[in-house]
Amino acid sequence: MAIIEAVGLRKVFRSIERQPGLRGAVAALFSRTFVEKVAVDGVSFSLDPGELVGYIGPNGAGKSTTIKMLTGILVPTAGQLRVAGIVPYQNRMANATNIGVVFGQRSQLYWDLPLRESFELLRSIYDVPRARYLENMKHFAEILDLERFLGTPVRQLSLGERMRGDFAAAMLHDPKIVFLDEPTIGLDVIAKEAIREFIAAVNKERGTTVILTTHDLADVERLSRRIVLIDEGVVIYDGSLERLREEYGTHRTLVVTLAESYPDVAVAGAEVEGRDHNTVRLRFNRRELTAEALIRRVTERYQIVDVQIVEPAIDDIVRRIYLEGYHEGVVGAPS
Amino acid sequence: MTAARAPRFRLEPYVQFAKKAMAREATYRFDVFTTVASVLVRVYLLRMVWVALYARNTAPKELPLHAIITYSTVALLMGLVMDIDQTRLLHDKLHSGGIATDFMKPIVVPFYLFADGSGEVIFHAALIVPSLLLALLFVHIDVPGPLTLVTFFASFALGYLVGLFVNFILNCVAFWTLEIHAMQLIVTWITDLFGGEIIPLVIFPAFLQKIAFALPFAAMFSTPLLIYVGAIPPERYAWALGVQAFWVVVLALASTVIWRAGAKRVIVQGG
Repeated sequence: MAIIEAVGLRKVFRSIERQPGLRGAVAALFSRTFVEKVAVDGVSFSLDPGELVGYIGPNGAGKSTTIKMLTGILVPTAGQLRVAGIVPYQNRMANATNIGVVFGQRSQLYWDLPLRESFELLRSIYDVPRARYLENMKHFAEILDLERFLGTPVRQLSLGERMRGDFAAAMLHDPKIVFLDEPTIGLDVIAKEAIREFIAAVNKERGTTVILTTHDLADVERLSRRIVLIDEGVVIYDGSLERLREEYGTHRTLVVTLAESYPDVAVAGAEVEGRDHNTVRLRFNRRELTAEALIRRVTERYQIVDVQIVEPAIDDIVRRIYLEGYHEGVVGAPS
Repeated sequence: MTAARAPRFRLEPYVQFAKKAMAREATYRFDVFTTVASVLVRVYLLRMVWVALYARNTAPKELPLHAIITYSTVALLMGLVMDIDQTRLLHDKLHSGGIATDFMKPIVVPFYLFADGSGEVIFHAALIVPSLLLALLFVHIDVPGPLTLVTFFASFALGYLVGLFVNFILNCVAFWTLEIHAMQLIVTWITDLFGGEIIPLVIFPAFLQKIAFALPFAAMFSTPLLIYVGAIPPERYAWALGVQAFWVVVLALASTVIWRAGAKRVIVQGG
C-alpha cells in the first residue's frame, strides 16, 4: 500500500497586485486587487514504502509548495493527500512524528547550542526512547563522522559539518518518510558524497521512504531510480531515469583523438561539436547511426589514436525538457 | 490505515526548551555583567534626579522622597525581567521564514516560544538578587510588611503576564507585516509613559491619570509598585489585583485569536 498518495493536488496562492512605483505602493494601501497564482496544478503521484524518489523541476515549478503540503504546514486548495495514512494538514502533530525534514538552506539545529544538545532536545521533542536514541546516535556519529564536532556550537560549524548534523537530527526519531530539500546545495564534492552515502544507507538499511528535491542531478543519478518531473505546477514525467535517458538521450558524442592534425574534419551523419587540437567531439543520433558505423566512417578517412563514447548527461536531458516540455516517445530532434 | 491521532501532550520538551534557553543566555556572560552595571548606574542617577526635584517642590503626599526612591529602585529591578521581550523569537522566525521548520515538528509552537522565553526570563530574574544587593550601596529602600510583600509579588506576576501578552500580540503582527520595529517603538514609548516604570502615575495631572488607569499598561509596573510603596492600601488590594487579572484574561484571549489568525495565514498562504 502506498505510503504517500496525492490525487489532484492543487494549491492556489492569492497575492496583492501592485502597480509599479511609489504611486502604486501608496494606492495599494487603500485599494487592493488580488491576483491568483497557481503554484501546484493537479499533481498526482503515489509512493511505496522504501522508495527513493527524485522530485525535480526548475525554480518556481511548485516543488517546495508540494513538500510544504506533504509536511502539513500548507493546506491544499483542492485534491486529496495522505501521508502514512494521515491527512497532513488535519493532523500536523501526528504527521510530524512520521516525517523527517532536511533543508539545505535552513538548519533545524539550535544555533547557539553545541550540536549534542540539539540532539538531546530533539530526543525530548520526539520522545525517542533513551536506548534507541543512543543506538541511533552511535550509528550516525559513525557514518557521518560527527564525533569530532559534537561539542561545538552550531554557529561555528562549517556548512558540511552542519549539514551532517542536520541529517542526523532529521533521522533521530526513525521517521517513516524523509523530505530532503536541496540537501547538497553549496557542499564540496567530498561532503556531497558523504551525504549521498548516508541517504542511500538510510533508505536501504532502514527502509525509509525518501523524497529528494534537488537541482544537482548528480544526486538523483546516484540515488534514485525513479524521478518525478514537475514544471509550472504539473507533473510532466514520472518514471525511471533510464526511460527518460532512453527517450531523450538520443544523441551521444564520440570523442576521437586523431593521429595527426587534419585541417578540416567532417564525417557524414555526425556533427562536429567541438575541437581541441587533435581531439574532435562528434555528436550523433544513435537511432540513425550506430557507434560502430560512425567509428568505421571516421577511420576510413582519418588516422586515429583513441576513441571514446560519451553518454548524454542527465543535466542536458533535463535542461532540454525544461525548455521544450516533455513529449512522450519523442525522437530527438537536435536541440 | 493508521489512526490519525495527535501524540499525547508532554511537558518535558518545553522544560527542555526553557533549560536550553537558560544555557544559551549564560553563554553571553558579558551581557550579564553590563545588565547589572546598567541597573546600578540608573539607580544612582534616578536617585539624584528625584532628590533634586523634591528639594525644589513640595512632595506629593502619597509619595514622600524615601517612597519615590524605593519606587524607582524596585521599578528598575522589575525591569530586569519586565523589559525582556519573551516572544521576540517569533518575530525573528517570521522574518527569516524559520517558523516553517517549527511547524514541521510535533510541538505546540506558541508553547515552545513561551518556554524558550521563560528560560531567558528565569535567568535574568536571578540577576535581581545581586543587582539589589549592589543597589543598596547607593540607596536605602523601604521594606514593607509581609502581607504587602506577598501581594506585591502576586501583582508583579500578573503585571509580568500583561507585559508578556502585549509583546506577544505585537510579535504576532509580524505575521502580516514582517516588520514591527516602528510599532514596537511606539508601544515602548506608551508603556514607558503610561506603565509607571519611570514616573509614578499618581503624580500625573488628573486627566492623564484617567487615561493611564484605563489602559492595560498601568497593570504592568504601576500596580505592583504602588502596592509596594503603600500608595494602594490593603483594603484595595483585591480590586487592584482584580483589574490586573482582567487585563491578563483580555490580552490572553486577544493573543489566542491573533495567533490563530496568524498561523492560519502561514498555513493557507505559505507565509
